[in-house]
Amino acid sequence: MNDRTVKYDEVPEKYRLRGGRWLTSSIVCDEVPPTCHPLGPSNKVTIAPGIVTGTEAPTSARISVGGKSPLTGTIKETNSGAKLSQQIARLGIKAIVFEGQPEEKGKFWTVELSRSGAKLVPTPPDWLGKGLYDVFPHLYKKYGDKVAVMAIGLAGEMKMAMAGVCFSDMKGRPSRYAGRGGIGAVLGSKGLKFLVVDDTGAPGVEPADKELFETGCKKLTEALLKHDITKPKGALNTYGTAVLINIINEAGGLPTRNFSNGTFEGAAKIAGEAIFDGNKKRLGKELYNHACSPGCIIQCSNTWYKPDATEHTSCIEYESDWALGANCGISDLDIIAELNQLCNNYGLDTIEAGGTLAVAMDAGLANFGDGKKAIELMHEIGKGTPLGRVLGNGAAVTGKVFGVVRVPNVKGQNMPAYEPRAIKGIGVTYATSTMGADHTAGYTIAPEILSVGGKADPLATQKGELSRNFQAATAFIDSTGHCLFIAFAILDIASGFEGMVEECNGVLGTKWTGDEVTKIGLDVLRMERNFNEAAGFTKAHDRLPEFMKYEKLPPHNTVFDVSDEVLDSVYKF
Amino acid sequence: MIEIHLYGKLRRFAKSKDPAGDSVVRVPVKENDTILDVLLRLGVPLHEVGSNIFLNWQYSGLSRRVQDRDRLAVFPDDMQLLYKWYFQRIGAKDNDPS
Repeated sequence: MNDRTVKYDEVPEKYRLRGGRWLTSSIVCDEVPPTCHPLGPSNKVTIAPGIVTGTEAPTSARISVGGKSPLTGTIKETNSGAKLSQQIARLGIKAIVFEGQPEEKGKFWTVELSRSGAKLVPTPPDWLGKGLYDVFPHLYKKYGDKVAVMAIGLAGEMKMAMAGVCFSDMKGRPSRYAGRGGIGAVLGSKGLKFLVVDDTGAPGVEPADKELFETGCKKLTEALLKHDITKPKGALNTYGTAVLINIINEAGGLPTRNFSNGTFEGAAKIAGEAIFDGNKKRLGKELYNHACSPGCIIQCSNTWYKPDATEHTSCIEYESDWALGANCGISDLDIIAELNQLCNNYGLDTIEAGGTLAVAMDAGLANFGDGKKAIELMHEIGKGTPLGRVLGNGAAVTGKVFGVVRVPNVKGQNMPAYEPRAIKGIGVTYATSTMGADHTAGYTIAPEILSVGGKADPLATQKGELSRNFQAATAFIDSTGHCLFIAFAILDIASGFEGMVEECNGVLGTKWTGDEVTKIGLDVLRMERNFNEAAGFTKAHDRLPEFMKYEKLPPHNTVFDVSDEVLDSVYKF
Repeated sequence: MIEIHLYGKLRRFAKSKDPAGDSVVRVPVKENDTILDVLLRLGVPLHEVGSNIFLNWQYSGLSRRVQDRDRLAVFPDDMQLLYKWYFQRIGAKDNDPS
């Protein structure tokens, strides 16, 4: 962005087989100095479709976004389902790197990318300083409704550490987010407002071994269509990810009122069932969920409608529903929908935004459950007032400014919707993930590493190896372009897992085995870990906040008592 | 008596069936009753019961014993999104729904 030029490079041999998280983390590790300032000229943002993105592989249009995070100071990979991912892949592009910074401050540019090339053009000033829902119609008017868009919102323009990277959804809404870690602020620091992609006439992705690829697709598709969680009209398609609200609540692990309780009395009012039923009453018919990106057969994205049957927001994910609902003590879906819509409009990560509102409520800026005040605080962020700037930099900063001790974060990133004192395995992931507190970094661990009560098992080292393999599998799925939700089907149905590996082999012409893809995942984790170590992170940073060691969480009335020794065993490989 | 909180299609066994509310039934328990015994007594078809069963907020299997004043929550088979990796399941046997 120094001189606003675009250039094409051949893919280096070492990156030839890489995609998604594997590729973005490789580029960040190779090109970004680990000690650089995340908003300075040396940081880079890179986006990459997965290995099979752009093909007919089911549920494979994820895009990985990488860089050094202004929220955590660690490496970051955050991903989203996106039409744009497929379009880039179909144009034959493995990754795009945004680097440098323009000297002129306060100006923003748009990258226009199509088969005929790419160019940087100034973003019209009247498209700046506004909500994305206000600006997107102008974009589509100019570029046509077939384009796919990546964008930053107001929060990114203001370089706030909770600014996400927005992607257009199937209906052209600015509603899909690679939200975590504030990479939207890094794009803002580079003056990059939009990437607009038109894949008309794109050559597409030609698998090296078409037959093997198609065999793999068929196996994975069958597994997804068969599994209770991922099949049509299954749990995800009917109730969306918010079906988890009631479930995690019954497990006593739904963080409530800034992680002061594990159950929320208003859970049923905001859960997936309530969303499905509320829409049915308002629309007069059953509404099943839609795909966030082309080619998804799970289709878990919902839309919430107003009493007058007009659209309010899409999509209320489990994490957003919890962050803006239970975690703030709010049990009104219309309020949650409004907060969600404001996050999408201003360009915010819903998890960090909800976590920050909850810390602000703990600080006394609003009462828990006060939806009206929560909406006002969100507008402060959008306006960029001094208070809004504090809040916009996330829960850890807000906690520091207002002297709140109960700030549930690791490495500066607020925890998502699983209470680690109730679900200790996820606490191990939060503590040790290369990304800060992140649930998608490796869902697994609990039974493998811990005995009852969270005491270290004498065989924890060997069991740590098992848990690592799950984390590695996650890192690999994030590299394929598949949505992490395929994990349900591929871990339960062996032919589904085979199918995923065969798809990759079919596209790339490789002969990877199941063991080899796990090793690739481990390599990704090691590489990311090395970046963080070089940035100054040690095992002392792999800890949960202290209050979780002495504040007992109802209803289990437990603290986080996993020993440091167990936490440190996770990365001994 | 134990309190059973039902979700999804299992709400039909409770008086209040509001999907945005609590569907609760109270059932008497005998000595040595398991979760399975209580559900059978209530007339819940087992093929509709998923793996997401919680006794006093703990992820549990059908064979776990219940006691007077326990709180049981049961999700149907089409709603079992809590995956088996998360928790240890107490009182589960191999033939329990997974």
